[in-house]
Amino acid sequence: MYFLPKQNLHILLNKLNNKYTVYIPEKKNNTLYYTLFASDDDTYTINEVRACEPLKAFFLKAREKVSENFKAGAPSDHVKPLCIVGAKACDLKGFKVQDYVFLTDEFSDPFYRRMREENLIISADCSTTIDTCFCMALGLKPYPENNFDLNLSLIENGCMVEVGSDKGEAVVKNNKELFQEVTQAQKLKRQQIRNHVQKEVQKNIKKHGIPLEGTLKNRIKKNYSDKFWNREAKTCVECGACNTICPTCHCFLLYDQGDAKKMARLRIWDSCMIKDFATVAGGANPRPKLWMRLRNRFEKKFDFFPKVLGINACTGCGRCITACPAKIDIRKVLGRLAGIAR
Amino acid sequence: MHDNSNPYAIIKTKVLQVITETPAIKTLRLKPEIPFSFNTGQFIELTVPGVGEAPLTPSSDPAKHDEIEVTIMRVGRVTEKIHQLKKSDTVGIRGPFGSGYPIELFKGKEVIVVGGGCGFAPVRSLMYSLFAMSSELKKLLFRGGCKTPQDFLFKEELIGWTKQKGLDVRLTVDKIEKRGDWKYNVGLVTTILDDLKVDKKQALAIICGPPIMMKFCTKKLLELGFNEKHLYLSMEKNMSCGIGKCGHCRIGTYYACKDGPVFRYDTIKNNEDIWE
Repeated sequence: MYFLPKQNLHILLNKLNNKYTVYIPEKKNNTLYYTLFASDDDTYTINEVRACEPLKAFFLKAREKVSENFKAGAPSDHVKPLCIVGAKACDLKGFKVQDYVFLTDEFSDPFYRRMREENLIISADCSTTIDTCFCMALGLKPYPENNFDLNLSLIENGCMVEVGSDKGEAVVKNNKELFQEVTQAQKLKRQQIRNHVQKEVQKNIKKHGIPLEGTLKNRIKKNYSDKFWNREAKTCVECGACNTICPTCHCFLLYDQGDAKKMARLRIWDSCMIKDFATVAGGANPRPKLWMRLRNRFEKKFDFFPKVLGINACTGCGRCITACPAKIDIRKVLGRLAGIAR
Repeated sequence: MHDNSNPYAIIKTKVLQVITETPAIKTLRLKPEIPFSFNTGQFIELTVPGVGEAPLTPSSDPAKHDEIEVTIMRVGRVTEKIHQLKKSDTVGIRGPFGSGYPIELFKGKEVIVVGGGCGFAPVRSLMYSLFAMSSELKKLLFRGGCKTPQDFLFKEELIGWTKQKGLDVRLTVDKIEKRGDWKYNVGLVTTILDDLKVDKKQALAIICGPPIMMKFCTKKLLELGFNEKHLYLSMEKNMSCGIGKCGHCRIGTYYACKDGPVFRYDTIKNNEDIWE
């Protein structure tokens, strides 16, 4: 663990900006958005809460060329690797799901793999909460514990730096002069902030009656009726915003650029809420009704992933609550699934 | 797989011949630019450049490595374009994907292959593999059905099988317009499953056809005393990436593209949408 004074943090980011394209959260209208780092601008917000965009967007691009003509290998439009600063614990949990999907098995995904290998993640503790934060119900802490290269905990006059990987260790080594030793008082201060934020998340969980993940086991299969899901899907407009904003959603659609002479296949994010998601060429659709598709979304997150990976594919980031124009609230759905809400 | 570094890369492939099988079904003989092998029951993604790709299980003998055949019913956007292809056109393939038929497990067993309609395509490839290992099988039976004699895919070849020694074959069509069109059974496929001279508790059955046909054949075989662990079905799902990542073909905790498309009935029977 090290201490990085505030002015040194900016120097470090400036240095990293040579090797990486650095994205860092900036506040606009009270919401944080990942923004390109500029050396003459230090108005970024590293702590507070997660950004509006999910971290996955930097690793599984919303639109990407995956093959071109009949060339072997991966199409390469090689650019500088990315350094993402200020990612929060909820987003880092998303990597557990994305890594499982794209890196395990016989076939790994070369595009995602490259991003994971080359990009640098400098995460940060949450210093506050917003109303939709409920990470602790999903077994997380509001500060990163793994899946980062470096983690920053902002305290007065700077931040404490924890190393989470060899890549992170190298960054510290190469910039030794910027880092200082951590004092006992600084450690204590970090703990105080962490304790405070945890209490705030707990308050959210209590206020909204959110079940803890231990109580969700087998609840999808126990609540599989059309009656249950018809009610939950009543206001859904099938926009797919919950999918695109979700740090764990990984589904994609392959489609061809409509030019036979210069063939290119692209992939774009897909949404399991859209009617034809599972439809086959002959027209048969295993999930023709909207409530079936909403149930499928929850089944994937709270039944499929617990069974194949041992974790719920939800991070408690609360983005889908904010994004949903129909006001479908995952906290309430989970409460009813667990049988603790009406 | 020509390129392990990118499972989305497409192998350039030449169309050698287009065979019109029935009004709605064509077979393409394809020659990939590089040698390509597959196990029976595995599938490929066939690309029509600029249009898209469709998942298809080859209908040819897996032992042939220089060319493959795919047999395609015209049902959607991509297959419509596939039907417009001509000799010498360029297409692309990816694969092979999925687990295929576990034919090693068939050794020493009585094996019944039940095909319906367009399901004859994968089934023909399977039968070639089984013919090649027929001395290792205790018994091989084939049951096949189509809607009408005019829709009967690979009709001449399948009628040829009825004369093959050591092979128990019955064919059926749902209906005929006039007598003389067809000298075999008339009725649904389930009507030619009653006379299977096998040990029902031990025999294995492979069923491949439209979902409704597989549903009723499964029901029938279970009634006859078959073990649900001995039934192998081909699941028709929206298989796109072929590698269990794009999410479209999930069945319970499986992906049809990666864990199937051939599934043992007992492993998927608790999913309510398998026949859709």
